Amino acid sequence: MSQSNHLPDSPGPTRRTRIVHPGIGATLGRVALSMAIGFGGLAAGAGYWQVVRSADLSSSPDDAAVIAASRRVIRGEISDRDGVRLAWSVLDANDEPYRRYSDAAMSSVVGYASRSFGSAGLERAYGAQLTGITSADPVRDLVRKFGTTSSDPQALRTTLVAGLQEAAVAALGRDRGAVVMLDPRTGEVLVLASTPVFDAAELANPETSSAAFARLQVDPASPLLPRATQGRYVPGSVFKIVTAIAGLGSGAITADTTFPEQPGAEKAGLLVSGYRVKDGHHRATGDTALDLTGATEVSCNIWYALAGLATGGDGLASWAGKLGFGAPIPFDLSTAPSQVTNGGGPLGGGFADDVELANAAYGQAETVVTPLQMALVASTVANEGLLMRPHLVLAFSGRSGSVTTQPEVWRRVLPPDLANDISVAMQQAVQGRLGRQFTAGAQVKGMTVAGKTGTAQLGGPDAPNSWFIGFAPAEKPQIAIAVVVEQGGHGSDRAAPLAGVMLRAWKAWAGL
Amino acid sequence: MSQYGIAVAHVGSGPFGRGREFGLLLVVAGTLTLGSASLGMTQEVRANPHPATPLSLADPVGLAVFLAALFVAHGALVLSRRRTDQILLPTVGLLGGISLLLMERLPQGLAGGLGLGRTQLVWLVLAIAVLAGVAALVRSDAWLRLYKYSWAAFGVGLLLVTFLFGHDVGGQRLTLSIGPLSGQPSELIKILLVIFLAGYLSENRPILIEESTRIGPLRLPPLPYLAPMVAMWALAFAIVLVLRDLGAAFLFFTVFLLLLYVATARASFVILGLLIFVAGGAILYQVVPHVRVRVDLWLDPFATASGSGYQVVQALHAFARGGLLGTGFGAGLPLIGGALPIPALHTDFPLAALGEEIGLIGVLGVLGLYLVIIERGLRIAASAADDFRALLAAGLSLIIGAQAFIIAAGNLKLIPLTGITLPFISYGGSSLITSGLVIGLLIALSDRGAELQSADAGRRGARRAVAVDIAA
Repeated sequence: MSQSNHLPDSPGPTRRTRIVHPGIGATLGRVALSMAIGFGGLAAGAGYWQVVRSADLSSSPDDAAVIAASRRVIRGEISDRDGVRLAWSVLDANDEPYRRYSDAAMSSVVGYASRSFGSAGLERAYGAQLTGITSADPVRDLVRKFGTTSSDPQALRTTLVAGLQEAAVAALGRDRGAVVMLDPRTGEVLVLASTPVFDAAELANPETSSAAFARLQVDPASPLLPRATQGRYVPGSVFKIVTAIAGLGSGAITADTTFPEQPGAEKAGLLVSGYRVKDGHHRATGDTALDLTGATEVSCNIWYALAGLATGGDGLASWAGKLGFGAPIPFDLSTAPSQVTNGGGPLGGGFADDVELANAAYGQAETVVTPLQMALVASTVANEGLLMRPHLVLAFSGRSGSVTTQPEVWRRVLPPDLANDISVAMQQAVQGRLGRQFTAGAQVKGMTVAGKTGTAQLGGPDAPNSWFIGFAPAEKPQIAIAVVVEQGGHGSDRAAPLAGVMLRAWKAWAGL
Repeated sequence: MSQYGIAVAHVGSGPFGRGREFGLLLVVAGTLTLGSASLGMTQEVRANPHPATPLSLADPVGLAVFLAALFVAHGALVLSRRRTDQILLPTVGLLGGISLLLMERLPQGLAGGLGLGRTQLVWLVLAIAVLAGVAALVRSDAWLRLYKYSWAAFGVGLLLVTFLFGHDVGGQRLTLSIGPLSGQPSELIKILLVIFLAGYLSENRPILIEESTRIGPLRLPPLPYLAPMVAMWALAFAIVLVLRDLGAAFLFFTVFLLLLYVATARASFVILGLLIFVAGGAILYQVVPHVRVRVDLWLDPFATASGSGYQVVQALHAFARGGLLGTGFGAGLPLIGGALPIPALHTDFPLAALGEEIGLIGVLGVLGLYLVIIERGLRIAASAADDFRALLAAGLSLIIGAQAFIIAAGNLKLIPLTGITLPFISYGGSSLITSGLVIGLLIALSDRGAELQSADAGRRGARRAVAVDIAA
């Protein structure tokens, strides 16, 4: 910029131009440029929050608009896959809506939407859709801003089967535990039961919510904890299926692998780094060195410890990672991560030493899992090694149309032949002569069941957690299941018979 | 003569006419009327889904008073018969009008007495009056440049008085009350700082440029002249420690460094200043819990989304809800249980509120208005008659620019959030009056006609510049 243009009245032009030191114009230009760059940064920041992050933040259950809308909008209904109503809204004396729920058995999945105590479960995860802040059609969302009706509440049809979930809760009875059932071919979750149950209707009803919430929060049985997705349990022998997947997948073992030292170690214990891994049972196999099927049938800890050591810490941790371990499972509801080890150890995968690795390989040590995670393990074997993304929503529908969720492949974990090796072993564990003593309860007349029990030692005087994972029909699997009963004793005592009850109920529902 | 011709061509009414300003004010009036209509219709439909006549203005009286104030200010500038900047008043008018619409649509209970919208209107009108008064009447800058040390002392005195007699609001000792009046002295201190710096730097500029002390690879200012730099640094940190006002300290230091660079063109000073700033910041982070909380909140507000990070996270949600186009005035900013999720929305997060209601497009527009102010201010500095006026104009425009940047960046989680105001938009009298004063001074400094500076100061400056030319 030239000085003299702006100083028309200058009596002595030379004096004016001299007074402003040469160079100040250039520095001002640079300062202007730096301010322009700074404001460009602001524009980029605004673009990030208002465009890139717009959809996920504004439909989050913590969003003020979602919370505000949930207090006045009549939320969409939630139903099971067959159209059974699970949640709907009614008006109170002041014409303000509140939620009703069909059955306490569904509360751990459907959750609640309360005026004073927030929301949980599907009510929380899909608050934006149920209140109609977000609809199925983004273009319509944009246009809606210019209209007078500001929301289009969506009805949610879930993948659940209300009758089966109720049967699971009834079968768990007074025990604490969880049952997960899903279709291995699609990832559709049919049952996601957790006991003890709580009554969401009580929490949502403005007249009873305060007292109910106060009571539930201090209940030592923690009924508000959705155990199927957030309960973290020692898995015991059901984890052997993860070790088998890791061992076969990494090539460290095959279905025919035997360990010569295994029969001897049955009696004396397996010496690992100066520490003895012990196993107490299956005298019936005598001095025979077992293969995958045999070891799975009799649930041989020594064979699986050796398989785990052969696979190595890295192998076990990374193959478990392919199944979903190590991070929350991407799911409609928030999930707790499952783990093979606490991590931080010097051994591959973060194991502290070979002793921990050997123990983890048959599901003890620092290994903890969620029931949903173990159902996915069974599902992977059932679906020929292809892990489908688990989901709870079949469809959303509102005025602007409906959107159906399509099955989605999450990961290819194993090639079909290796998955089949494990499937054969799991069938033998339920149907075989030696396996029957553990898993007879899971058998279903007229249908081949594949599975694995688990008896998770908790240390101390507590009875072990009782586990079963499996799938059916073994030849052409259509349902995968995971059952855990807290302190239910041996897997054969509680979980396997419960799985039998659920598989029979499913068979009737499916019309097989 | 030819320049007069150009002037006549675009002002349309003689050398002292302000046709461009009038035209822009008409555009501002139209824009604000549209905004008011948009808000009014939304409110109307909210109250009654099927109104008889949906066409209505949100608050026609408030809008009329505000627009009248702008045109009266314009009239005062025309009557002052000075050839001064014609862009700044309409720019400020648009920002203030947006603020008025925002304050009218927020819950009125946020301010006592008249309510939020009316109180803001009163302050806006007063700020425009101050702006117009200063722009029309201040014709000499001798009273500023001759008493620079007195102004600095006054500023430090204000700081002390605030510390001794101020009262704490929201964990910060910012507010000083004298009788029925209360205000935030740090708003005034920033102007005093710029006046002092402009005086000091213009007087010592040749020395600061030509001489230096070498320490290793760094060329530092001559040691005696390093003193004010250290003093400024100390002042900034005193403000953090004494007033617990991070934003003001950050603003002072930023404006100081930028002015130092403008005066000396030496990047080494800026680098040194930044190093000192980072070092000081690191120490404060360790020592002052309040600073640590702010920085941790910035790094991951979502970690404490329902606790101390709540406001920051809710502000980001507000931006997200607005999206590209916004919800429209009056249609966003949901209330939960009758209250805003962001209690300090009107003071600390007005940009987030605008982000929701007028969208990314609106935010970019508002940011653009601040860039206009910066551009006009630096242009006035570039064509100023001498160093003092150049530095003063640059400093004043950078106050507005840097302040807008710091609070906007804080709202957008680009830097830690500090509780300073968004000039002309945030609710609050001290901020509005001070901002009006800043723009008024800028307009006065832009005077292309009359001789402003005192003859005495002019001669001193001239002698030094000539000396430098000879030396070079």
